[in-house]
Amino acid sequence: MHFQPLVVSAYTLCTAAGDGRAATLHALRERRGGLRRNDFSHSPLETWIGRIAGLEHQPLPAHLAAWECRNNRLAWRGLLTDGFLAAVAAARKRYGAHRIAVVLGTSTSSIGASEEAYRRLEPDGSYPPDLRRPIVHTPHSLGDFVQHALQLHGLCVTVATACSSSAKVFAQAERLLRAGLADAAVVGGVDTLCGSVLFGFNSLELVSPEPCRPFDAERRGINLGEAAGFALLEREPARGPRFIGYGESSDAHHMSAPHPEGLGARMALEQALARSGMQPQDVDYLNLHGTASLRNDEVEARLVAEIFPAGVFASSTKGWTGHTLGAAGIVEAAITLLALEHGILPGTLNTRRLDAACGPQIRCENSAGEVRRAMSFSFGFGGSNCVLAFAREAQA
Amino acid sequence: MTQLPPVHVEGVAFWTAQLPDWQTARAVIRGESLPPQARIARPTPALLAPTERRRAPDTVAVALEVGMRACEAAGQDPAMLAAVFASTHGDLAISDYLCATLAATPALISPTRFHNSVHNAAAGYWSIGTKAHAPYTALSASVHTFGNGLLEAATQALSAGQPVLYVAFDAEARGALASMAPSRGLLGVAVVLGVETPAKPSRRLTLTVAPCDTPRPTSARSPAASLVAHNALAPCLPFFEALADPSPRALVLTLGEQLELQVGLQ
Amino acid sequence: MAVSQSDGERELAELIVTALNLEGVLPEEIDPEAPLFKTGLGLDSIDALELALEISKRYGFQLRSDDENNVHIFASLRSLAQHIAQHRVN
Repeated sequence: MHFQPLVVSAYTLCTAAGDGRAATLHALRERRGGLRRNDFSHSPLETWIGRIAGLEHQPLPAHLAAWECRNNRLAWRGLLTDGFLAAVAAARKRYGAHRIAVVLGTSTSSIGASEEAYRRLEPDGSYPPDLRRPIVHTPHSLGDFVQHALQLHGLCVTVATACSSSAKVFAQAERLLRAGLADAAVVGGVDTLCGSVLFGFNSLELVSPEPCRPFDAERRGINLGEAAGFALLEREPARGPRFIGYGESSDAHHMSAPHPEGLGARMALEQALARSGMQPQDVDYLNLHGTASLRNDEVEARLVAEIFPAGVFASSTKGWTGHTLGAAGIVEAAITLLALEHGILPGTLNTRRLDAACGPQIRCENSAGEVRRAMSFSFGFGGSNCVLAFAREAQA
Repeated sequence: MTQLPPVHVEGVAFWTAQLPDWQTARAVIRGESLPPQARIARPTPALLAPTERRRAPDTVAVALEVGMRACEAAGQDPAMLAAVFASTHGDLAISDYLCATLAATPALISPTRFHNSVHNAAAGYWSIGTKAHAPYTALSASVHTFGNGLLEAATQALSAGQPVLYVAFDAEARGALASMAPSRGLLGVAVVLGVETPAKPSRRLTLTVAPCDTPRPTSARSPAASLVAHNALAPCLPFFEALADPSPRALVLTLGEQLELQVGLQ
Repeated sequence: MAVSQSDGERELAELIVTALNLEGVLPEEIDPEAPLFKTGLGLDSIDALELALEISKRYGFQLRSDDENNVHIFASLRSLAQHIAQHRVN
């Protein structure tokens, strides 16, 4: 049995650029990004970040206090946005709590809580009492929290393939539905700022000391960001934009550098085109991975220039949000869905002069127009690639 | 209840310090021999080129070892297989290192250890070592990790009509984190699941997802149980006990707090 | 193979072998004039970052990745040891 298109019946996102679809749409249209100077890390690190304001003052409700940590606070904030919690509650009534799967992506989950514990260990070297909660010190913290918060009892896993995590969850959920293991799936992902990623990417000299400039000839690296995003996937007759295909591949090249010819990325893209029954010229908008790292952007720009006709509008939106790592897949899927639903074509914020590797597809300025079919690219450490394809509701 | 069409277990692999291959593990599980006294610290990731091999942490070493052995047993080319990697906690030694270094001297994080810290490190090294461009995934589901990974591997095999490699592993916890994410020793297991009846004898695996009030997982009861009991992946052992027994077996693994995986092996 | 290493070169050779977990390489056998990267010891860009970190911890000064002299500084054990001797704080 082959791929079956699914309906995205609800979706939401919270990034540094704004909470929810309307705020995101506004930020995209007004070209108002959410990056700011790094004020997160406990030691100075000269970079810019996409930080979500106010999380420090938004504890989880009492019945969810066992999952308390920054990452799950952001997950909760995401669930409360755009009526997502209510949409899942309605689906729970339709299908039953056992028939809705939860498949979520993250790269570091709530390791920020473990980092905090190590900063304030007891004199005997043990964990501080308030952080003696094993669930927040394991990668499944995210999936487990969201499943409980949504009162679901179906399949629940946390996918952690670095920056492709919350794109790959769409593919996994589609397979679960096709196999009859669920009737609907909550997909998405959450990643929050923490020392591991700030200082880790710094150790690899990948963070930029200035606001990131994806595909710019003089780009200097990435800005880390935090985000939550969710989507509810169902079969027809549910209403909403369509998830029409995916492609997944491995670079089989290097742990922290992309394949120099973009081999894996190309395979994922070709698979996604084939699965969704599209030719390159059928695609109206491409939301690129475009991290502003030297290597990624060069390889990705060449791939786009080679495969797509000049008329395709392609951009990276990381100048608005920063690179939200394990949440990047869902954030950019959600922005792609906004493009489909509202005809907005976001450009590439902060970028002044495009790299010579870029073809005419990659745009700096915003535009507007009919967007019928669109794709989102996600490429991660460990050479994990995922490309998602979506279509407007009318185009089913 | 939802039952998947059957898949075939084409190859099996197992590695822990005293049971460093499936032959040895199977004999000990069946009670045919005592566990060897010798303990091997970790397998050598021979699959990797020197540059990757010298950087590979224990989790990568054990995942690659069982992945290779399962493919050999199945007679499958690893470069052609999609793969599912599952680990409850990932590399706990690296998590401990990162947290301890961040608390003391954050600017002195090792770039090598950081890039090894991603949950998909073992999967990434596997694809590099085998030159597999087929997709992999890397997942976690706390105490329900093994069952969820097995189900995902079977779902992928059925959805693509192609064999899939399933690798699961967990390693020794270090430092203060060990009190929250306890795990002892190094344990890796793998199976290749295929959809077509293979030429050589194989076991037919039927998976059923069943809602329940409280899952009642099958307990490990073989002489191997005490050797892996304190590893976070210990819930996998009943499945390998059933594989070690050539007669038809049924067992239960957990998938969640109200969901179990009923496993039939013919 | 008998190669002649200075004390500083020997100390650096030991640091390289340990920090990068080089298999089957004895510090005393690293030819001080052979290339460290690619063809020589087979080191790559991650190793360069790891090595720079270890050198900053041991010798108390930063090697900058955007230094245009890096090709010369990292050319061989000898050139790197000389650079360390000139800049070390510890």
